[in-house]
Amino acid sequence: MMTAEALGTILVSGLVLGSIYALMASGLSLVWSTLGIFNFAHGTLMTLGAYVAWSLTDNAAGLGLSPIAGLLLTIPIMVLVGAAMEWLVVRPFYGHRAMMLITVMTTLAATVFIGKGIQLIWGARLKQLEPLVAGKITILGTTISAQELLIILLAPVLLAALWAFLRWSATGRGIRAVGQNPYAAKLIGINVPRLFIITFALSATLAGLTGVLISSVRLITPMLGDEPLIKALIIVIFGGLGSLAGTIWAAYLIGIAEAFLIYTIGIYWAPSLIFILLILVLLLRPQGLFGKVVR
Amino acid sequence: MTDALRIEGLRAGYDDFDVLEGMSLHVGAGERVGLFGPNGHGKTTLLNAISATLARREGVVSFFGDRIDRARPQEIVVRGLIHVAQANSLFPDMEIMETLELAAWTPRARADKVANLDKVLTLFPRLAERRRQQAKTLSGGERQMLSIGVGLMCAPRMLMLDEPTLGLSPKLKDELADAIGAISAGGTPLLLVEQDIAFVLALVDRMYLVDHGTITREIDRGGSVDHQEIMDMYFGTETAP
Amino acid sequence: MKLDRSLIALAALAVALMLPLVIEDSYSRHILIIVFIYAIVAASWDLSLGYAGVFNFAHMAFFGVGVYATAMTAKLLGVDPWFAMLLGGVAAAAAAALVALPVVRLQGIYVVLVTFAFSQLILQVVISQSDLTGGTQGLVRVPTLELPGYNFLRDYKLGYYYVALGLLVITTICLRALVRSDFGMSIQALRDNEDYGVARGIPIAWQRLKVLVFSAFFAGVAGGFYAVYLRVASPEVFSFATSSLVLSMVLVGGVSTIYGPILAAVVLTIASEALANIDGLAEGRFMLVAVAMIVGLRYLPGGLISAFTRTGRGRVSPAQVMPPKTE
Repeated sequence: MMTAEALGTILVSGLVLGSIYALMASGLSLVWSTLGIFNFAHGTLMTLGAYVAWSLTDNAAGLGLSPIAGLLLTIPIMVLVGAAMEWLVVRPFYGHRAMMLITVMTTLAATVFIGKGIQLIWGARLKQLEPLVAGKITILGTTISAQELLIILLAPVLLAALWAFLRWSATGRGIRAVGQNPYAAKLIGINVPRLFIITFALSATLAGLTGVLISSVRLITPMLGDEPLIKALIIVIFGGLGSLAGTIWAAYLIGIAEAFLIYTIGIYWAPSLIFILLILVLLLRPQGLFGKVVR
Repeated sequence: MTDALRIEGLRAGYDDFDVLEGMSLHVGAGERVGLFGPNGHGKTTLLNAISATLARREGVVSFFGDRIDRARPQEIVVRGLIHVAQANSLFPDMEIMETLELAAWTPRARADKVANLDKVLTLFPRLAERRRQQAKTLSGGERQMLSIGVGLMCAPRMLMLDEPTLGLSPKLKDELADAIGAISAGGTPLLLVEQDIAFVLALVDRMYLVDHGTITREIDRGGSVDHQEIMDMYFGTETAP
Repeated sequence: MKLDRSLIALAALAVALMLPLVIEDSYSRHILIIVFIYAIVAASWDLSLGYAGVFNFAHMAFFGVGVYATAMTAKLLGVDPWFAMLLGGVAAAAAAALVALPVVRLQGIYVVLVTFAFSQLILQVVISQSDLTGGTQGLVRVPTLELPGYNFLRDYKLGYYYVALGLLVITTICLRALVRSDFGMSIQALRDNEDYGVARGIPIAWQRLKVLVFSAFFAGVAGGFYAVYLRVASPEVFSFATSSLVLSMVLVGGVSTIYGPILAAVVLTIASEALANIDGLAEGRFMLVAVAMIVGLRYLPGGLISAFTRTGRGRVSPAQVMPPKTE
């Protein structure tokens, strides 16, 4: 029915998409598990990361740093942005009975704020980010750019590092503890507000890095993060909001599914079908494919 | 000698209403004090107010002479005042060993981590047996032991226990009583909140009765406990035939 | 109390009816018309968000569906614009029914996510079907309202003004009636204590579906009017910025009040338009809206209207609209 070459194309582009989605969704999942809120601004944080990296590396209008330096310097900037955002948009509503809904709205407001800010600062014209590695490679009968291959390899490494951090480092354990029982965490002396800010900053950094990676293979626009945000949304629902592992699996699954759908029914209808798939899954399993039942 | 814990005129509550209406009590250094009363009368709220896990409280709370009524929860733990809450205050997905090691969070607790871990596992051998089990898979008694173990890992200068025997079988209660007795025998002051009157009496030097958010009686060891008074508290005074 | 607010509302209506006598230029009337349109959308959003406590984030998409349905039927199928507006409402209601299917059984954050994803999906569909919808450019030259003997286009928007005002009045009356009806009581009961409501036999899924459909209908009609008034349908109606603006009207105005969002629509639309005229703030004004929303949520949880009514039947802060998070 389908040639091996076609399958190869689908698999490879599916892995690229899946890698990007996994990095992106893990940041969202982290904030949800720990702070109990859904950060709608996650998409714009991706966009912001891309623009910051551009400003650092562009030879004409930016600082002209090397792509690696640009990537690395974006990190502390995103940490600061994430911390500032948590402090301004989430912290004032701690402990509020409707914290979740209110933060949906405040993070939405932050999205507009950052999005319009990006437009004002950088303008709406398309920009390009220099990839970390150049050239093309042929795998499984498909040719992809070396940058795309880098993404496929880098994502699991970053995710593994995240997992290791959460599992074994003191701060990581603290983050997990807060996510599982903030009250108990307080009782053993964990500074919960400080961990909230750390988690949020970490999530923002993941978002920014994702943005940098996306823009190394696509053009940068102020709307860069909008469409991935919707995918991220669908992924965390599929994967179950509380489960980081589930989210990552779901991300790769959806990446491959999307690649398959784009190949078979075209890029216009693929999003609709994924959405319909989501609805079906939710009707049958309200907690997502992997998640725990959440109220 | 300064009291371990001294509370005066403590008011605290949730949202718009007060649960504690001006409570005063004290726990002397090395003393073991019980807090007794029916549900809903403020026992847990009191402990939450002391450990600052409740947003709203007014009044004076001192720990070994230092005022802590304005302190944040992590600062209180750093000082060594440890609140062991009811057994739902564990981390469901964490293993026993992981939880105990995590509980040595503050610098002071970390310093004694190895020694305390040894103490806890000796005190509760069952925890050592099940070290890789997640908290959510434990039985009620094991959860209780883990909760107390967690409290010990925090290197307490004083322990506050909230109904440690809730839902346990008599045999388990005895085991727990022995363990708590061993802990306080080391000189650690204790504030024990309980509904099981016999359990409390066996372990404490002094007891307070809590009724509707205030202390109504203070009973010393040697003073008799009026069972009728206790019945009245629980079932109201309309027991006239 | 109730009487107070109704009297004030009637007074406001009287003023609104007479305003065109004093305000005669097209531009100012245009601003007011936009106010009325947003007021309808915001007030109807309050029905599902405030009174029913359904975290419905697809409402602006319903508005957009109304815009496009009306524009397409009027322009491409030659349907009479008056009827096309109604069709806009029906189309929006149908979209709401579609979304309601998965949503009514979901809880909390999932409702937010699914309705939000749905609204983005509609946007995708609209953009991709550019043959029908004009894609990113949108549709232009949409036919406009006509009445025998009266030319809407040549009267400095007077006709449009009264139609928009009329729609707002009808919407307000309908919404208030709905809220006071048994239906309205039941959805508030479900909001305040779902388990109890279900135990008392309120069919939760069905009620939620009806709420979404009703609130979408009004938004759809408003969208339809928007289309025949501006004679344009563009994907801008689906933007985050527009959604945030209208959402902030609901929140800042006061959830669960109907009048609150209307009041906020007046204030925020005028403020937004005023800012748009300041150099350099055409885009930046949305940033101010965003800040206003956050500040408003922090310091005025009961909304603007709580500053005007001391007693508020139905004055509910967002805090009371949803159940506490269980850990």
